[in-house]
Amino acid sequence: MDLIANLFANLATGFSVALTPANIGFCFMGALIGTLVGVLPGIAPITTIAILLPFTFTLPPSSSLIMLAGIFYGAQYGGSTTAILVNVPGESSSIVTCLDGHQMAKKGRAGPALAIAAIASFVAGTIATIVIATASAPMTWLALKFNAAEYFSLMVLGLTGSVVLAHGAPEKAVAMVLVGLLLGLVGIDVNSGSPRMTMDLMDLGDGIGFVPIAIGMFGIAELAVTLGKPQDRSLLAVKLRDLWPSWAEIRQCIPAMLRGTTLGSVLGVLPGGGAALSSFAAYALEKKMSKNPERFGRGAIEGVAAPEAANNAGAQTSFIPLLTLGIPGNAIMALMVGAMMIQGIQPGPQVMINQPDLFWGVITSMWLGNAMLVVLNLPLIGVWVALLRVPFRLLFPAIVLFCCIGTYTANNTVFDIWVMLVFSGLGVFFYKVGAEPAPFVLGFVLGPLMEENFRRAMYISRGSSMTFVERPISAFLLLLTVALFVVLVLPAIRAKREEVF
Amino acid sequence: MTLRINTPDLAFAVFLIALGALALALASPLAVGTAAAMGPGYVPRGLAILIMVYGAVLGVRALFSGRTAMPAIEWRPLLLIFGAVALFALLLPFAGLALTSFALVICAGFAAYDVRFRENAIAAVILAAFAVVLFVMALGLPIQVWPW
Amino acid sequence: MLARRTALGCALALSALVFGPLPAFSQNFTKQVHIIVPYAPGGTSDIIARIIGPKLSEAIGQPVIVENKPSSSGNVGADFVAKAAPDGHTLLITDAGTLATQPNLVKKLSFDVQKDLVPVTLVMFSPYLFAVHPSVPVATLQELIAYDKANPGKLNVGTSGVGSIQHLTAIVIAKKYGLKWGIVPYRGGAAAVRAVVSNESNVIFNGALATQPFVVQGQLKGIAVSGDARLPATPNLPTFKELGMPIVETGSWQGFLTSKGTPPAMTARLNTELRKILAMPDIEKKMAELGGYVKTSTPDEFAGWLTKAIGDWGDVVKVENISLD
Repeated sequence: MDLIANLFANLATGFSVALTPANIGFCFMGALIGTLVGVLPGIAPITTIAILLPFTFTLPPSSSLIMLAGIFYGAQYGGSTTAILVNVPGESSSIVTCLDGHQMAKKGRAGPALAIAAIASFVAGTIATIVIATASAPMTWLALKFNAAEYFSLMVLGLTGSVVLAHGAPEKAVAMVLVGLLLGLVGIDVNSGSPRMTMDLMDLGDGIGFVPIAIGMFGIAELAVTLGKPQDRSLLAVKLRDLWPSWAEIRQCIPAMLRGTTLGSVLGVLPGGGAALSSFAAYALEKKMSKNPERFGRGAIEGVAAPEAANNAGAQTSFIPLLTLGIPGNAIMALMVGAMMIQGIQPGPQVMINQPDLFWGVITSMWLGNAMLVVLNLPLIGVWVALLRVPFRLLFPAIVLFCCIGTYTANNTVFDIWVMLVFSGLGVFFYKVGAEPAPFVLGFVLGPLMEENFRRAMYISRGSSMTFVERPISAFLLLLTVALFVVLVLPAIRAKREEVF
Repeated sequence: MTLRINTPDLAFAVFLIALGALALALASPLAVGTAAAMGPGYVPRGLAILIMVYGAVLGVRALFSGRTAMPAIEWRPLLLIFGAVALFALLLPFAGLALTSFALVICAGFAAYDVRFRENAIAAVILAAFAVVLFVMALGLPIQVWPW
Repeated sequence: MLARRTALGCALALSALVFGPLPAFSQNFTKQVHIIVPYAPGGTSDIIARIIGPKLSEAIGQPVIVENKPSSSGNVGADFVAKAAPDGHTLLITDAGTLATQPNLVKKLSFDVQKDLVPVTLVMFSPYLFAVHPSVPVATLQELIAYDKANPGKLNVGTSGVGSIQHLTAIVIAKKYGLKWGIVPYRGGAAAVRAVVSNESNVIFNGALATQPFVVQGQLKGIAVSGDARLPATPNLPTFKELGMPIVETGSWQGFLTSKGTPPAMTARLNTELRKILAMPDIEKKMAELGGYVKTSTPDEFAGWLTKAIGDWGDVVKVENISLD
């Protein structure tokens, strides 16, 4: 009872901070700027936050954090818009949204796809806010239990599940995961400091950029292929009354949203890269739970709802390590630490005790920001969909232009544009030979994390591979991997065999 | 016996083998180490070999898995869009964002079979102006606008 | 904010249209100045650049643009500045990693820090806090040495990367006291702190202010601080100097540099303006909040500092035979 009374008292404190007119204004501004920036492919929210940072020095700490957080989740949502409408993903989570979201758009259902993305994000955001308010302590405990061995086992589990992502031939999906793993290793090796497979190009020192790969393989390659067959696009011009999903569809998506939220909330809290997995995992889970998995990859609405929910829940819970431990889970959180320090706040457990208004204000503003995103974006859906009615011959040069500018600004170098071009070419090739890029991207993102954590775990255990099974969480994850392999992968391979022979 | 070649599968297999070989060559100077104490070259080399073997298996299978032709490639949109991207990369450091954007839109516009000259030129001017206003003025991104 | 940017941009576009390219006078600023940060947004160098940028813009009457060019441990951004036009309009802000350890570690570097870059001024210095995870049963350096002798292989130092100052510091200290601890590189200082707080590794040397809160709250246990002055927040922690430890002056520092061939008058003007800005009370306060204190210098002093730092860390690298290519 005390717990619940406390929770309400805390939330009341929070709302008294977040609901001041000024803070509502900053929250709205953040969400708006974030959405607009997120829509632009390749312009990372981190760039925007960095640019706005000096401006926030003049604001009170709570306002500045509320606004910066607003940019962060606004951008998460804006990225999905571009993924759905024009198949251009700016980050790993949008890639999953591309799979079914863009297929829906191609069938004239961009409106329902965008709407379900907004609804799923809001549902997930609401639940995740409650999770942060009530379960920060156990989540923090979990985050601290994840060491190198656990991360490695988690990545193995993720990769095993990744084969489910493909809707075509599983043997090609496996090959694409391997290729992704290999290319993910390009760059300076964290464990030894040596540059690997960089062909002596300094620009490859930090590896092949994610943005040029994603934009090239999905955005540009897709354009180059579909322009050859213009009749595909006729369906894009939709009637305005088709903007909303039906009630039946929303009901169908509710379990998907809840599962996605759960996965996202748990994975988002892991500071060493669990977040990268969340939307992929949510999508794979939905596909396996579905009675007719063959709809996935061809415009299944749950295929949009689940990863969007997972992504947004993860974006929220990634604040937990920052707020409770002072540990930034990703680059954006690191920038938030910078912002807090310049305001004279040391992030960490004492924030909750010494500055409860700040702590709870930021948490309640997350919910407020999610509510604003819905208010902001549902009317915008009409605008976005109307954009698709611009003749395609005028729309696509704009897409190419924005892709190029976005890729350039990620690192301010034209080198990345050449990388994008190479991966556009590869994307066209993969399309023509029937190999799907999504498993490639998952391999690319997880590969370096997997190797890095494996070698680190082995080093710390001084060469004993028993560390992976001696540590309970790691052992559990590996057991889950074996189970997943037996349940999912073997039947898939066997079914395929029967088809072939 | 005539070969029943699945060309797309074979092309993918050849790609895998070539990529594996390239990676193997690039990773050759890196120390391999042992499974317990891996060097930087251990995983790249292992993956490269795995990919080559995998590619070889797919390749052999493709030779007998039924005749399938490679889907046709529409060269005009492909080359013009890729050309527009290349143009952007070449011009941006010298010509600035405004002129580069203009050139990109003009070039990319011709990728569409139903391109209209005047419309394309107008679109190029509008998009170039929009890009400068949005990215440089509103977002404050560090991109040079003019050649000087 | 946005309006001001727009106004600046418009003014710039207009002046460019009206005046065209202007001849460069030796110490006046004729066009926008770029501060190149060779790391991704959010690091210390980036935040310093973004704090100083607007003030510098006011001082020189030209827009100042902060540009991140990350990759290759800062070498890509530094190379860009080394090859930029020698007119003092392209500045580099970076840290000891790019300036003192990379030149010793990477033989194939495409530029020479001392020959191709012109020092302008030092900006900031932050001492390291030497701390362990609370589960390690030691409270002093002596106890730590004894613990390592009794439990070889139990201690692991989390560092911000192979060849970083943190990494080299751990090597030097291990050598001096015969420690057998392992050294585990991470992707940057924040990841290393995460690892040590979660007991994946259990020893850390990291920028004082970023590490202090963890010590104050008991998530980490402090052993000592580098430098020769105790820190106000942790007055009970002895300094490296008091303990007679090696490399007393280890820590992280940042500085401004510009391109080779920049006229000395221009470098002098930059030095004057930057030092004026760094002496402002609000800037000093922000630097303190970032974990260090303002430390400025003349261009010549900075050049001397670089020579010493590159030489000192070079000795460590040579003795330990560390190489990255």
